Amino acid sequence: MAILKVGILSCSGEECLGGTISRLATRKVLEEMKMVDTVTLCLPLYNAGGKEERNFASVFPTISVDGCDKLCAKRSTEKYSGRINGSIDVSKIIGNENALNTKIIRNNDLKEEHYRMVDEVAGEIVKAISDLEPNSYAGKTFRGCGCGD
Amino acid sequence: MQMSNKVKVIPCSGIGKVFGLVAREAALKTVVELCPEKAETVCLAYIVTGDEEVKAKMKDSGCITVDGCPKMCASKNVSLAGGIVVDEIKVLDTVKDHKGKKFGSPTELSDDGYLVVEEIAARIETRINEIA
Repeated sequence: MAILKVGILSCSGEECLGGTISRLATRKVLEEMKMVDTVTLCLPLYNAGGKEERNFASVFPTISVDGCDKLCAKRSTEKYSGRINGSIDVSKIIGNENALNTKIIRNNDLKEEHYRMVDEVAGEIVKAISDLEPNSYAGKTFRGCGCGD
Repeated sequence: MQMSNKVKVIPCSGIGKVFGLVAREAALKTVVELCPEKAETVCLAYIVTGDEEVKAKMKDSGCITVDGCPKMCASKNVSLAGGIVVDEIKVLDTVKDHKGKKFGSPTELSDDGYLVVEEIAARIETRINEIA
């Protein structure tokens, strides 16, 4: 039976607020918005050579979520899995000044305004999922075995 | 370009498990609150891009990695990028002393999760003071 899945790769950047927002927005989509079977791919594992993560991204549509315009998650996905189906640049949504804030990064430091940013970015991720061509994920199976099937 | 001599504290920030968030929060507590003069963090996702700027930043830098699972992605990626891993912190080594506790989720830590964060951050601080 075909499994319908979409992968989300978040940068989770540790140096600035944009990374925290990208991480939390990705988690929100996974936990609260059940429009399709969404999974998150662990970017450090993906970059360290995780076969299952890389094969998933080469079989199923993948959306990158980056906290700043360096677009590290997007570039890594393109490098190791060949293509990306959607890309979110958080700095374009919440503004560069917010995204590059190096003072507020920890979860405990976040205020109401930052959670509103999380909601906004999560909405953009959902929009990107909605924009995927149905034939980009329909009828595919994945066994995570490394053969790319 | 001026390079910093600060110790780099680099967590995996793994997004699928609570221990990735514990690693992230512990590293950030260290660099933001405990040792801002001696330590800093560098985005792990940026490190692996291989961009010249980050390669120069990482070259021969003393790094403490914090990993949430046995795959040790932060440590592996930092080594691949030319950083010198002077200590590998494993979150699982600390949580095994807290059997039966609930640490929260990959989105939000519980009070017990933050307790583990405090312990790991204190250990990182001690290590930074030894080497910096």
